[in-house]
Amino acid sequence: MSVLSDLQFYLMHFMPYSDVVPGRPQGQWVDIPNTHFDPAKGTKLYKDYLDELALGDELGFDGLVVNEHHSTFYSLMPSCTIAAGALIARTRRAKICVFGTPIALTYPHRLAEEYAMLDVMSGGRLECAFPLGTGMEYWVNPVNPSFARERFRESMDILMQAWTQPGPTRYDGRFFHYKYLNPFPLPYQKPHPKIYVVGSGTEDTIQYAAEKGYGYSQVFTPVAQQLKSFENYRATATKHGHKHDANSIIISAMPYVAETKEKAVEEAREHVLFYFQKLLRTSAQMNSPPGYMPVDRLRKRLEATNGKDMEITWEALNTIYRTVQGTPDEVAERIAHWCEEAGSSKIILHLHVGDMPHWKAVKNITLFAEEVIPRIRRMAPKTLVAAE
Amino acid sequence: MRNYTKHDVIIDGVRVEVLEAGRGSGSPIVYLHGAAASPGFEELLPLAEGRRLIVPVHPGFGASDDDARIDSILDYVVHYSALFNQLGLAEPVDLVGHSLGGWISGLFTVLKGHRVRRLALACPAGLHVPGHPTTDLFTIPPENLLRYLVASPVILQSMTSAAVTNEMRVARYREMTSLARIMWERDYEPKFDQWLPGVSVPALVLWGEEDRITPVQQAKHWADKLGCAETATFAGAGHLLFTESPDAVGRVAAFFARPT
Repeated sequence: MSVLSDLQFYLMHFMPYSDVVPGRPQGQWVDIPNTHFDPAKGTKLYKDYLDELALGDELGFDGLVVNEHHSTFYSLMPSCTIAAGALIARTRRAKICVFGTPIALTYPHRLAEEYAMLDVMSGGRLECAFPLGTGMEYWVNPVNPSFARERFRESMDILMQAWTQPGPTRYDGRFFHYKYLNPFPLPYQKPHPKIYVVGSGTEDTIQYAAEKGYGYSQVFTPVAQQLKSFENYRATATKHGHKHDANSIIISAMPYVAETKEKAVEEAREHVLFYFQKLLRTSAQMNSPPGYMPVDRLRKRLEATNGKDMEITWEALNTIYRTVQGTPDEVAERIAHWCEEAGSSKIILHLHVGDMPHWKAVKNITLFAEEVIPRIRRMAPKTLVAAE
Repeated sequence: MRNYTKHDVIIDGVRVEVLEAGRGSGSPIVYLHGAAASPGFEELLPLAEGRRLIVPVHPGFGASDDDARIDSILDYVVHYSALFNQLGLAEPVDLVGHSLGGWISGLFTVLKGHRVRRLALACPAGLHVPGHPTTDLFTIPPENLLRYLVASPVILQSMTSAAVTNEMRVARYREMTSLARIMWERDYEPKFDQWLPGVSVPALVLWGEEDRITPVQQAKHWADKLGCAETATFAGAGHLLFTESPDAVGRVAAFFARPT
C-alpha cells in the first residue's frame, strides 16, 4: 500500500522567542542572558503561537506537535506538557503529540502522571515522542550528561512499568528507587498512547527504539543520513519480531506555500535562514557536554567535519534538509516524494519558522491545509472498497 | 637521562598503565595525577632520585582502559587500594596527588591512612571553600583551557604551539567524560572538611600562587583541616604546578626525604 493512502499531517511549533541577542556567534542557548526576555512580548507570542496551532486543528491537520527546550531563545516551551494542556482546552479533534519532555531530565513517575493526565483530559488524543534532549539541556539541568543515555532507558522502563503493570509496584534501579510506583491517573488509551523515540542518528538510539517496538523519528540531520537510519530501524524491528509500518517513522519538513514560487521564496527565506543560522546555532562545547556523545560518534563527526562548524547556506538547505518554498503543486509534489522516499506516512510540518510574523504563519498554515493537503490526498492510489 | 618504564596491570578486570622510575630501599613514592594524563609526567622524574616512583594512570585516562563502573572519587580510592595490593605495596607509601589526584589522595588517606607514610597535595580539588570556589572546568571553552591551567607565558607558549589533531580532541573528550562521571554534579566533597581532621600522617600542601582553577586561598583551608600540614606556595606558578615549578617538585622530594 502506498504511504500516501494514509498520510497524516502534523503541525508543529517551536515557539521561538524571536528577539535574539545580537553578537552571539555561540548561539542563543545555555548562557544567553535571560535579562533580554520581555514578558509582554512573551504573552503576545504565546497567544499568536497557540492561535496558530488551534487554527491547525480547525483546518484539519491530523495532529499538533509541541516540544521542550530549556534556557534558550529557540523555544518558549520549557514544559511541553503545559503547552499541550493549553491546546487540549482549545481543540476538539487533532491528536496532541508531545515531542517531548526529555525523560532523563525529570522524574519518570511524574512524567507518566502528566502524560496520562493529558491523555485523559483529551479523551485519548495524546501521542508521545521521547527525546534524549539536546546536549544544551544538560548544562542547565542538574543531570549528569555522561549518564544521560542510561538514565533515559531506566526512566523509560519506569514509565512503561507505571503504565502497564497494575499499581502499586516497586522499582529498584541505578538512578531511581520506588517504594510505591503507583501513578494516578492512568492513560486513557490502552495499554498506553503511541510511543516514539526521537533521535539524531546515534546507532544505539535507533537500536533501542527498534528493539522495544517503539516508533522512531530523526530530526535535523541530513536527509540521506535519516534514510539510512530508517532502513536500520526497520531491519532491527523486524529482527526482534516487532510489527512496523509507515506510521512507525515520523519525518519532518519545513515548507512555505504561496501564490508563486518567487513569492514563496521571498516571504520565507529570511525566516528560514533566521531559524537555521540564529536559533539552531550552538557551539560544539554546548552541543556535546562531556559524556553526552559516545566517543566513537565524536570521532566520526570530527572526521566528517574536521572540527569545523558546518556553515548552513540557503543553497545547501533545500538539498540537505526538507525545506521547500513554492506553489501548492510544487510543495505537494515534494511532500509526497519525501514521504515515499522515507517510507513514512506521518509528517511533521514546521509552518511557523523562526521570526515569521503571525500573518505569514496563518497564511502558510491555511494554504497548506486548504491547497496542499487535498492535492497530496488526491495523489494516493485509489483503493477499491468492497461494498457492504 | 632517567626515564619511565611502563607496564600494564589488571585491576578488577580493567587494564591500567603504570609508569615507574628509579629504585631505592625507602618507601616508594606514588603519584596520582590530575584530570589529564596526556602531557606525560617528565617533570616528576627528579622524585625518582634514589627512590622508586610509581605513576599509575587512572582508569578512563591516558593509556588506561575505561571502567564504566567508576562514577565517584570513592570508586577511585577502592581502585587504588586494589592497585597497591597488586603492586605488593605492603608498607606505607609516600603519596603525592595533584588536583583531581589530590582529591583522590586526600580521601584515600582519610580511609586508608595506614597505607600512607607522608602525604603531599598539590593544588588538590575536592574542598569547598566559600568565597574561593574551584573554577568549573567543564564550563571553560576548550580554546581557553590552557590559559586557565598555566600561568607562565613561556610554558603556555610551548604548550599552545603544537597543532590540535582530531585524535587529541577525541582523547580530551574521553578524559572529560571520565571526569564528568565523577564530578559533573559537584566538583567538591561537601563532607571533606568533616573528614580531613581524621588524617594523622604528616602532610604538605603545595600551591601555585597564580592558580586559576583552584585558587591559592584554598591552601590555608586544607592546611587548617589537616591539622599538622605544612604549606608551600610558589610565585608565578599556575594550576599545573609541577610543570611550571621545578622548585615544587624539589619541595616534595625534600618532604618525602625526611624520616618518619
